Amino acid sequence: MHEGQQPKLLIIDDDAHLRESLAEVLELDGFECHQAGTAEAALAAAAKLLPQVVIMDIQLPDSSGFQICQHLRKKSKSTILIMMTGRFLSAEEKKQGFELGADEYFTKPFDLAELSVRIRQLLSRSRV
Amino acid sequence: MAATRRGKLAYKILFCFLLVSLAPMGYLAYRLVNISQAALRKETLSMQESLAVGFADTVHKYVMTFKNVLMETAGLEEFSSMNPAKQQQYLNRIIQVHLAVLEISVINPAGAELLRTGRFLGANPEMRKFASEDFFIKVMSRGQYIGRLERFQRLYPALTIAVAVMDTKAKPPRPVGVLTAKISLNGLSSMLGMEFPPTGKSVASVVASDGFMIAHSNLEAYQPDARLSEDILKILRTQSEEKGGGDITLANGARLLGAYADVKGLDWIVYVQQPLETAYQAAAEMKSQTLSVFIWVFLVVILLSLLVAVYITQPIRILREAADRLGKGQFEDLPEIMMTDDEIGDLAQTFLTMSESLKEKTGELISAKRELEKFTKFLEKRVEARTRELKAAQDELIKKERLAAIGQMASVVGHEIRNPLAVINNSIYFIKTKLGASLESDAKIAKHIKIIESEIQQANGIINEILTYSRSRELKPERVGLDAFIEELLSVYPFPPHITVDKKLSASNPAVDLDITEMKQALRNIIGNAIEVMPESGVIRIRTAPGQNGSALVEVGDSGPGIAPDVLDKIFTPFFTTKARGTGLGLAVVRKVVERHQGRVDVESLVGKGTTFRISLPKAKA
Repeated sequence: MHEGQQPKLLIIDDDAHLRESLAEVLELDGFECHQAGTAEAALAAAAKLLPQVVIMDIQLPDSSGFQICQHLRKKSKSTILIMMTGRFLSAEEKKQGFELGADEYFTKPFDLAELSVRIRQLLSRSRV
Repeated sequence: MAATRRGKLAYKILFCFLLVSLAPMGYLAYRLVNISQAALRKETLSMQESLAVGFADTVHKYVMTFKNVLMETAGLEEFSSMNPAKQQQYLNRIIQVHLAVLEISVINPAGAELLRTGRFLGANPEMRKFASEDFFIKVMSRGQYIGRLERFQRLYPALTIAVAVMDTKAKPPRPVGVLTAKISLNGLSSMLGMEFPPTGKSVASVVASDGFMIAHSNLEAYQPDARLSEDILKILRTQSEEKGGGDITLANGARLLGAYADVKGLDWIVYVQQPLETAYQAAAEMKSQTLSVFIWVFLVVILLSLLVAVYITQPIRILREAADRLGKGQFEDLPEIMMTDDEIGDLAQTFLTMSESLKEKTGELISAKRELEKFTKFLEKRVEARTRELKAAQDELIKKERLAAIGQMASVVGHEIRNPLAVINNSIYFIKTKLGASLESDAKIAKHIKIIESEIQQANGIINEILTYSRSRELKPERVGLDAFIEELLSVYPFPPHITVDKKLSASNPAVDLDITEMKQALRNIIGNAIEVMPESGVIRIRTAPGQNGSALVEVGDSGPGIAPDVLDKIFTPFFTTKARGTGLGLAVVRKVVERHQGRVDVESLVGKGTTFRISLPKAKA
């Protein structure tokens, strides 16, 4: 990754509006955003683009967000993996997610400013 | 009531008495009466017969008297040889002595009348010729004659008696003339009249065999042409016996008792009659008297039998009455039972024994029944209690299932709404960021963006509330001091400035096991409600105190408008709300949380005064 270059983000959600709105907001914040609607497309995009940050819904039509999370973590230890959820997660579920490689959870609808700050925080740490 | 009846047994005994006593007696009486009556009738008849016979004898003697007079006169030695003057003297004398002699004559063997003297004859009466007369021929051949009945002077019955005057010196004696006399038979009637007075019912008569009425007891009834009635005459003619008698029924229907006797030597009959009822009066009287005696005896026997029957059956009836009462379950107050010295007494003894045993057994049964009832009641109560518990458990289960279903639905809905909400949120954030500084110049757009943001927050809040309520999260209790927990909660709670917090904690700080997150949420909900109902100013009272049965109490009260009683009991129901915007889950969450902690929440409210929630929680076990 090069300094000054926009960080690459991959947003995975089956809801196109959510993907787009989130991508466009984060693009305003200076991220290079890519999108995927299915697990298959997401894995292909991740392999091709090698994003620094992946934001994914834990529920997808063809797979679970945690499975993608696990897969991506195996490929790269540095990729920042952020989980989005529409429902409450039990402490047990959250713990399991962290063990599979998740870095952060956000419950929909989330504070975008907070999300943006958190991503940059995590990015700066991974760089260190 | 049966006791007032005499009872069938009494009637049976009565019937037996009657059968045993009266029937033979009645039969005997009947036979005796019959025998006596027969005897009486026989006696009456024979009496009547003997009267007839007696009178027949009298008649015979009467006639014989005159015959003898004539015989004596004719037999006088001198009479045949007497001169007529002398003979006349004799004749006169006879007429003088015997009043019944109406006329007396002397006739020569040629049939010419020589002398004629009569009671009603004038001087020198006509001398008659009798040579061809029947009686003259007979007297000449036989020596005597009695007959020739006639009505003297057309009225009085008279009889001719003639005897032959014999020449005793001649060998053999030969008749030399006839002495004949006409005898009045009126005397017979007089004698009959005396013997059978007209006041009596008996009538007697003397008749010739041709029906000529010779004498009659009733002189007044005597007529010149009187004859015995043909009916009787016919009967009398057919009799072969010298005497006899019996019942006679006349053609006119009259019944008579008749008796007859032939008069010896004459072709005459003495006939005596009386009406049958008179003849048998004695028998009839005897019969009626016997009957009346029998009726009296019958009545007395019935009365006595009844008394005896009642006397005998009395103890049985009392027994029966006692048995009736026993049958109705009245063991006390039984009638006095007579202990007679007989089979009935034995029965009474047996009955008493039986009633005692029955009483005992019934007592046992009753007490067993009571036990059973008690036990049944106990069982019923148990069953009822269990049923209630089951019902409560079932209700609880239903509620839980319903809540689980609601939760499931809410979870799905919440999740599905969160996505679009997130999209809206993202979009408005994009717009806001994009517009950036230009927003400051257009205050209205800024305001509307704020409204959208606030509505997103509120919608999210609602979803959170629903999901919180429906979440089947596992309880994570921690041991804390209750007062410390409350203190901490209040210290961070953002009370608005118009609210006064009146806090009095017990300071005993009892240890309780709480899921901090949930219990905080519950208390926040209560406090939040309290603040909402007091928009201008008010007091929130917070108290902790020891509760009942080793529990700890937390009270949160407000000075708001209070809750109407009809609303009060619904406030813990999920989705019940009185607010314009609200899920109706705030207090439902409170109850759910408290109950998950094995505690209970109560509410007390006075309209116009305020509302107090009281949460009691079990103290932690050491």
